[in-house]
Amino acid sequence: MQIRLTVNGEERVVETTATTRLLDLLRTDLKLTGTKEGCGKGECGACTVLLNGQLVASCLLLAPQADRAEIITIEGIGSAEGLDPIQESYLEAGAVQCGFCTPGMILASKKLLEENPRPTVEEIRRGLSGNLCRCTGYHKIIAAVRLSAQKMADKGEGKDE
Amino acid sequence: MKRKLAGKQGNRPLISGRDSNGYFLPESLAEAVNLLGQAGEGLKVLAGGTDLLVDLYERLIEVEGWLDLGLIPELREIKVRAEQIEIGAMVTHAQLEKSENIKKTLPVLAAAAAEIGSPQIRNRGTIGGNVVTASPAGDLLAPLIAYNAVLELVGKDGVSRVPAGDFFCGPKQTIMKRGQLLSRVLIPRPSSGTIGCWIKIGKRKALVIASISLALVVRLAKGGVIADIRACFGAVAPTPLEIKAVRRLAGGKRLEQLDFSQVGELAAAGIAPIDDLRGTAAYRRNVARELLIQALEKVQSTGGEIIADQADC
Ligand SMILES: Cc1cc2nc3c(=O)[nH]c(=O)nc-3n(C[C@H](O)[C@H](O)[C@H](O)COP(=O)(O)OP(=O)(O)OC[C@H]3O[C@@H](n4cnc5c(N)ncnc54)[C@H](O)[C@@H]3O)c2cc1C
Ligand code: FES
Ligand code: FES
Repeated sequence: MQIRLTVNGEERVVETTATTRLLDLLRTDLKLTGTKEGCGKGECGACTVLLNGQLVASCLLLAPQADRAEIITIEGIGSAEGLDPIQESYLEAGAVQCGFCTPGMILASKKLLEENPRPTVEEIRRGLSGNLCRCTGYHKIIAAVRLSAQKMADKGEGKDE
Repeated sequence: MKRKLAGKQGNRPLISGRDSNGYFLPESLAEAVNLLGQAGEGLKVLAGGTDLLVDLYERLIEVEGWLDLGLIPELREIKVRAEQIEIGAMVTHAQLEKSENIKKTLPVLAAAAAEIGSPQIRNRGTIGGNVVTASPAGDLLAPLIAYNAVLELVGKDGVSRVPAGDFFCGPKQTIMKRGQLLSRVLIPRPSSGTIGCWIKIGKRKALVIASISLALVVRLAKGGVIADIRACFGAVAPTPLEIKAVRRLAGGKRLEQLDFSQVGELAAAGIAPIDDLRGTAAYRRNVARELLIQALEKVQSTGGEIIADQADC
């Protein structure tokens, strides 16, 4: 079957099947390998993407469920020339070690800061609670999100609408 | 497997194309029931997919096709009426958690939804999937029983309504028949003076299956007399379980007239726990007793405010 979806602002038409996961469609068909597969069961968040603005685990979605949806993957955040303030903050805070969890973490951070530009530590923990990291011990990730909030406030972005 | 009905074309999000075998996307409940009636066991009803896709990954299910309920608008609605609150089967945990109406009228349900899994799971997982999966640890089940919810089932022979307390018959077993769909959850609107508490014990705060949970809903009449009290536990028995002895003991009294440890004993005696990797049966009896005592104390001390708690163990 054919599905049509917008991925990082670009409309794509993909030939797929009823049992293909969105994760496989992104990685195999669209070659967007920034989205990672960790557990395959919704527990680790490595496969996190935004679907119509909502944080979802792409391993728990069938491709046909994303028909006509708007998807943002890590490839849609920042660019090689200009990193997103969240990406900058992750680097500066040393919140990236092996990097496997980072795409999902960044998308979860982005969603959190969109809804709540000045989160408390408790709110950060809750916002990132679907994303596991085996390396950092989370302290630096939380520091990175706080730094992002600061940067975005300084730039006058991310204010309450 | 029948080919997906081509349907009307246009701007509707509808899967089209050559090989759409095995994926059905009905736009009305009637169409869904009809498709389900014609199909065999291999056609799986797909809601948020957070249980089904795990089963698929672990090869626990054979799938010949999907019946995706995602395009049926009425299943996504929360309606607050004078007499009852109606929640469509496709309403997500995130919707329940964020809905001002649910937080106001059914705070124990909102609190339970807010603690399910993770943001990613709450954005996709639905109340209907939680109910039909019928896991003894399904977090919405005890709150639904505590609020006297009624489940509306639709099949080719029409609509039937079943109290949530009569729906579950074992771990992952319900009275639902092949060919039936859960369409809505109907909850009598709690009167003012209804207070309650949700407590879930797990090994960590997120992404955790409850080792035990408690939904307590108390309806106080004028003068603080207990008109109704429902103490429902999750994960302590093959099905979610109301300790009816609590109602018999406490009904007609005032909270301050109760001996909370005596009420707690009813919980320890009334549950039918198992030993598993999330805890032993003896542990669960002890925790059930203490949880009920704690919940009663909280309900009493806050004088009617809702408390949601996630204790650590
Ligand atoms: C990582 C992770 C964490 C989780 N954490 C929790 C938790 O903390 N608490 C908890 O309670 N659950 C948890 N779950 C389980 C799951 O998310 C919930 O049970 C969820 O509510 C299931 O809903 P769904 O829409 O995703 O169901 P689906 O997977 O789409 O469906 C589940 C079952 O119900 C059937 N079904 C669904 N809707 C209907 C309907 N309307 N009519 C007839 N049949 C229907 C399906 O055919 C299937 O058999 C977790 C799951 C994962 C993967
Ligand atoms: S791979 Fe999807 S949550 Fe782990
Ligand atoms: S940096 Fe390695 S898993 Fe997070």
